Amino acid sequence: MKLNFSGLESSAPLYGGSNELLCDGFSAAPSFDLPVTSDFDGFQKNSIQMVKPAKGTTTLAFIFKEGVMVAADSRASMGGYISSQSVKKIIEINPYMLGTMAGGAADCQFWHRNLGIKCRLHELANKRRISVTGASKLLANILYSYRGMGLSVGTMIAGWDEKGPGLYYVDSEGGRLKGTKFSVGSGSPYAYGVLDSGYKYDLTVDEAAELARRAIYHATFRDGASGGVASVYHVGPNGWTKLSGDDVGELHYSYYPVEPAVVEQEMTEAVAA
Amino acid sequence: MSIFEYNGSALVAMVGKNCFAIASDRRLGVQLQTIATDFQRIFKIHDKLFLGLSGLGSDAQTLHQRLVFRHKLYQLREERDMKPETFASLVSAMLYEKRFGPYFVQPVIAGLGEDDKPFICTMDSIGAKELAKDFVVAGTASESLYGACESMFKPDMDHEELFETISQALVSSIDRDCLSGWGGHVYIVTPTEVTERILKGRMD
Repeated sequence: MKLNFSGLESSAPLYGGSNELLCDGFSAAPSFDLPVTSDFDGFQKNSIQMVKPAKGTTTLAFIFKEGVMVAADSRASMGGYISSQSVKKIIEINPYMLGTMAGGAADCQFWHRNLGIKCRLHELANKRRISVTGASKLLANILYSYRGMGLSVGTMIAGWDEKGPGLYYVDSEGGRLKGTKFSVGSGSPYAYGVLDSGYKYDLTVDEAAELARRAIYHATFRDGASGGVASVYHVGPNGWTKLSGDDVGELHYSYYPVEPAVVEQEMTEAVAA
Repeated sequence: MSIFEYNGSALVAMVGKNCFAIASDRRLGVQLQTIATDFQRIFKIHDKLFLGLSGLGSDAQTLHQRLVFRHKLYQLREERDMKPETFASLVSAMLYEKRFGPYFVQPVIAGLGEDDKPFICTMDSIGAKELAKDFVVAGTASESLYGACESMFKPDMDHEELFETISQALVSSIDRDCLSGWGGHVYIVTPTEVTERILKGRMD
């Protein structure tokens, strides 16, 4: 039985009309040879299960007066085992756009780099930078065409373009949402709690950075699958800068220092009579 | 995730020169969410006998209550404390009674027996005893703990060196486990005194 691969031919298959960008031969979506197997559905199911446990992470991003604040933890977990405490979850697509990683590490790294290539080609072809709207749409369309194949990507694209700060949430189910505040991953409920109670549009860069750092810290405290280092990045009109990378273990003791215990009764040597 | 990994736990016991140490983590979670950071997993049965229970928190607490009851009855009848070897056999028998509907726990028993000779043992959830001369481990971080203890353990350590060793082994192992951690709890028991210490650990 010959499987129908027409959905995989190009990265914008849905509307039929050809996109100039894809006809130039450089930026067609990479095509992957599918494995030769008698049970393709079973293979798909297994490959989805293999990546499934991996959305153990906390990432967040929000827009405020001075731009976009992006923060993430750095733990990679496989079920209960911590495989790394030093994973870079904020991916630098280009000097003015950041992407966050949640889900399969390989999927996020590969497709973000692919997006960076496409953005650069857009710049060369159109003599101006691509907008955050456009970049997120490119990624969303690629992920939609691989829908059901087992990719696991929950990412936020944050950047500053001509319209000002931009933030989009894009995932491997094909969803794409524009918004001002997002958190993705198993630690996101805890991060949302802190973020929602402290958020104001008029925060300064330092206040917003502290809010983002605190939100990641609280998520790493409560969520078992988040931890390591809380990295905070700021995207401003001149591009992104990394503001801080604090070890969450040390952050705990700086927020909640250990009080010396009050000694109620102390034993001393009895004086020999 | 299996039922043994539902709450998350890490336990280790080590033998030293005329002393022993037993240590646990302090986290109680519901799968990935952390509920408490001061959960008690090591229980004193009498001054020279400690019991650690890893695995499902509810079964750990229930089994501890039942064992305290049996030990109190023993004390009333025999007018003395139970020896660690006897206690281990009691735990093993109680676990096997529930062979076809077991308690989801892995106990670690540590005590000073006759002539204050240290005794440690662990069991699986249906009572298979494993006696060891050096160290025993249990919990979700057990594989990391085996590696850490194997490399850090030396025979006949005194109680201060034993404390350092067991603390380092525990902390380095739970730092590689999502489901255990958030501090450590160490008991060092010698023939004359019991020292209880809380370890400052990574709270992530």
